Amino acid sequence: MPARLISLLVRPTTPPLWLGIVVAATVIAVETVVVHQLNKVAPQNAFGAVFLLGVLVVSARWGFALSVMTTLVSAIVYVYFHLQVEGTLLPAKPGDWVAVVVFLPVALVANLMAGQARLRTAEAVLRRREAEASRDELAILAEHQAALRRVATLAARGVSPSEVFTAVAEELALWLHVVNAALLRYEGDGTGTLVAVRYEPGVTLLPVTGDRISTAGDDVGAIVLRTGRGARIDNHAHVGGTVATRIRAEGFGSIVGVPIVVDKRVWGAAIVGSRQTEPLPADTETRLGDFADLVATAIANAATRAELIASRARIVAAGDEARRRLERDLHDGAQQRLVSLGLEVRMAEASVPAEWVDVKEQLSAIASGLTGVSEDLRELSHGIHPAILSKGGLGSAVRTLARRSAVPVSLDVALDGRFTESVEVATYYVVAEALTNVAKHAHASEVDVSLGAADGTVHLVIGDDGVGGASSGAGSGLIGLQDRVEALGGHMQITSPPGHGTTLDITIPVDGG
Amino acid sequence: MEAMVLQFGRLRCLIVDDNPGFSDTARRLLEQQGITVVGMVSTSADAVLAAADLQPDVILVDVELGEESGFDLAERLDDEAFPSAVILISTHAEQDLAEVISGSPAVGFVSKSELSSDAIRDLLRAGDGTEGKPVAPVSGPRGR
Repeated sequence: MPARLISLLVRPTTPPLWLGIVVAATVIAVETVVVHQLNKVAPQNAFGAVFLLGVLVVSARWGFALSVMTTLVSAIVYVYFHLQVEGTLLPAKPGDWVAVVVFLPVALVANLMAGQARLRTAEAVLRRREAEASRDELAILAEHQAALRRVATLAARGVSPSEVFTAVAEELALWLHVVNAALLRYEGDGTGTLVAVRYEPGVTLLPVTGDRISTAGDDVGAIVLRTGRGARIDNHAHVGGTVATRIRAEGFGSIVGVPIVVDKRVWGAAIVGSRQTEPLPADTETRLGDFADLVATAIANAATRAELIASRARIVAAGDEARRRLERDLHDGAQQRLVSLGLEVRMAEASVPAEWVDVKEQLSAIASGLTGVSEDLRELSHGIHPAILSKGGLGSAVRTLARRSAVPVSLDVALDGRFTESVEVATYYVVAEALTNVAKHAHASEVDVSLGAADGTVHLVIGDDGVGGASSGAGSGLIGLQDRVEALGGHMQITSPPGHGTTLDITIPVDGG
Repeated sequence: MEAMVLQFGRLRCLIVDDNPGFSDTARRLLEQQGITVVGMVSTSADAVLAAADLQPDVILVDVELGEESGFDLAERLDDEAFPSAVILISTHAEQDLAEVISGSPAVGFVSKSELSSDAIRDLLRAGDGTEGKPVAPVSGPRGR
C-alpha cells in the first residue's frame, strides 16, 4: 500500500505551476484555521508541525522552487499567527524560537527528500522504458538468428541450391517484414535468371521464378552486378531500364539489393522490395548481407559436390577406358595371332605324312595348347563385348554374366525397353564387378541377382549366402563398386551381417544418362 | 535358308574379317581342307558387294569388324536375301555370345580356333534340317 501511495504522490510529470500555487495557498489557509482552532484547545503547544504537512504535499508534486516558497510562506504565516496570539513581533519564549528554528530546516529537508524521491522515480521509469526497448530488440535479433540458422541448416544438409533459394526468399519475406524478395543469378550475357522470387498478393506484373530479366538498366539488380556492392533505390521515378519500368508500374517504393559472392565472383543478388511509402530501414543491407552469405555457401557447396561427383565419374571412366583399350589390343593382337598359330599348327599336322604318328601327336598337342592359352587370355578380359550390349541390351549382357559367373547365379531380370548406352554400360559394369567380388571374397554357394527399372531408376539387388561381414573399407572390393555407383549419381546400400551373407541394394538414376 | 549343300562338292566360301593375318591363315586352312575361298573382305560394305558378285555358298563373318558389328552384317545379308549361309566367327567364347547368336539370322557360330571345313559342314547340315530356322550353335569337332 505505501508503495502505491508513494508512486501516486511522486509521479515524474509535474502538474502546472498555477495549480501548485493554488494548492499551496489553500493548504496554508487550511492549516492556519486548524492551528487557530487547536490553539483554543491547547494554547501552550506550538503547532508549527501542522504547516509541515502542506510543505510535504507541495514538495511531493511540485518542483524545488515552489516547495521552498511554500516553506517560507508557511514559516512567515506561523510567525505572524504567533505574533497575533502573543502580541509580540518576535517569539519571546525560548520554546517558540525552537519551534521556528526547528520548523525551517525540517521543512527544507522535507523539500529535498521529496525532490530526491521524485528524481529516483523518474529515473526508474526511464530505466524501465529502456529495458523494454532492449527486450524488443533482443526479440528481433533472436528472430534474425533463427531465420539464419534455418537457412544455414538447409545449406549444411546439402539440399539443392534451388531449395535453399526458395527457403531464403521465404525467410527474407517473413523476417525482414518485407513481403517481396527475390534471388537473382547473373548469366553473364546481359541477363539474369530469377532463381527464387516471392511477392505479396496483388503483385502481378513482375517476372516470376525462372524468368530471365535484363541486367542492362539502372535498377538495383543491374547496379549490384556493375558495382559488385550493395545498392538501394528508394524512389524509382526516374530510373531507367525495362526492369525499372515494371517496378514503377507495380507501385514499388524502396528496393534494396546485395551481391551474392561465390569464389570471389559476383554470382547474383539478393533483393528485397517494399510497396510502402516509407523507405526500407537503414540496416536492411546488413541483414540482407547475412542471408546472401548463406546462399553463397550453399552454392559453393553444391558446386563442390558436383565437381566431386564429376571427378569420380572421370576416374571411373578413365579406368574403364584403359581396360577396354587393353582388351581391345589383346583381342586384335595377341589373341588373333594365337588363333592363327593354332590353325597353322593344325595345317602342319594335316600335311605331315600319316606314319609320323609322334609328330602328329606333338603338333596336335601344340595346337590344343595354343587354344588353351587363347582361352586363358579370354578369361582375363572380363570386358564387355560391344556387340552383346548394343545388340541384345542390358538383359542379355547380364544373362551372359550370370552364365559366366564362378558362383551359380539365380537371375531375375525385369526390364522393358532400353536405356542410354552409358547407363547400360555402367549397370553392366556394376553387375560384373559385383559378381567378381562375390567370387573373390564371399565364399558363397549361390548369388541372387534381380534387376528392374521403375520411376526413372534402375534397381539392382545382389545377394549372396556367403560369409558376410563385408564393408566398403579398402581391400574389400566394395569401395570400387561404391565409387562406380556414386559416380553415376546412384546409391548403394550394403547389408552384411557376419555369417549371414551380403546383400547390395543399388539404385542408379537413368535420367541425364 | 535355301542353300542346298552338297555333301561331297567343294564349297565356295567368302571370309569377312578385319584381321588380315587370320584371314590368310584361315584361307590356307580351308583350301587345304577342301573349301574354296572365293574372296576375303574386311568391311560390311565390301562384304555385301562380294556376296552379290561372287554368290558364295557360305560367308564367314567375324563378329567384330573394327567399329562395325558382324551381327549387323548378318542381318543385312539376310535382308538382301542372298542364298549364302552366314556363319559367325570370333575369338570370343561362344557362351559369351549365345544370347545374340540365337537371335541372329546366321546359321550358327564357330570359334576361330576351332575353324575347320568339318565344322562348317556340320553347321550347314544342321541348318538345313530345320527349314531355315537357326539351330543352337554347334561347335565343330576338332579340326582334322
